[in-house]
Amino acid sequence: MQTKIKIGSKLYRVEISELDENLLRVKVDGNDYFFSKNELGELVPVVPQGSEELRSLLREEVFLEALAEKEIKSPIAGTISTIEVKEGEALKPGQKVVTLIAMKMENEIISETVGIVEAVKIKEGQFVNAGDVLIVLK
Amino acid sequence: MQIQKFKTLNSTNQKAKELARKGAEPWTIILTEEQSAGYGKEKVPWFSPKGGLYFSIILPKSTIEDLQTLTVLAAFIVAKVIKENFSLEPLIKLPNDVRLKEKKVAGILTENIIGKEVKVSIIGIGLNTNIDRLPRDLEDIATSLKIELGKKVDNKKLLKEIVLGIKEQLKTISQ
Repeated sequence: MQTKIKIGSKLYRVEISELDENLLRVKVDGNDYFFSKNELGELVPVVPQGSEELRSLLREEVFLEALAEKEIKSPIAGTISTIEVKEGEALKPGQKVVTLIAMKMENEIISETVGIVEAVKIKEGQFVNAGDVLIVLK
Repeated sequence: MQIQKFKTLNSTNQKAKELARKGAEPWTIILTEEQSAGYGKEKVPWFSPKGGLYFSIILPKSTIEDLQTLTVLAAFIVAKVIKENFSLEPLIKLPNDVRLKEKKVAGILTENIIGKEVKVSIIGIGLNTNIDRLPRDLEDIATSLKIELGKKVDNKKLLKEIVLGIKEQLKTISQ
């Protein structure tokens, strides 16, 4: 589907196409952006995996760098109850990484990015503050 | 409010999270007659035989601060409903439990799924209503409304009053 969107005085050419069952490409003025549904059914930006053909569509590794965040930080303060990932594990958006107990609520912290776990920076039973790094990705 | 009723579930909170992930509407209630693996904080088992009132509510998207407040208020609402319906004097052990004569009668567990923001929130409540007797290892620390009153109570009425109470409170703290 192709369309033009005008925001203020600028006109954008937008093309949306389904490349795969769960892979959407949005082309804005010739630049490709890819989206996939995570486990919560939300569309999140992704780098297509497993297909050289699709990867080549991206061309720029800059895009990959921009999407894949390097750290997962704790969104709230609390005590780490369980750690659900190991070093070397591939993470996808929506995947549970730790359970954190805060104010007697149990909180599943999920990844919102893609990447390989390089280091787990926390231990079970450890108290963390909001913003503390939980997982380092590569 | 939409109520999904089950004969038996492992846990209403687990089912609620599963349904919320699939896009179930806020204020959907998951109600079961019994739980085979009911749990409280840190997965401590919650004895959940037939007769008790076990349900979870899928909450609308809220801030983590509001959810913390809501957990405390939910205990207050359960205690209030017990006090208003029966001649009993419940006490709250903050933030999760409601007690009668130092024995647990209800437990509350809020669970969230959080990325950069809160994605899914559910609140689960287990209220020991029409339970005739508790196992020996629990009888000194837990009780039921039926044990205390010597008569059956109306689970449906209590469910309605608790859910409406929580809905009203969340409206107050979110605005």
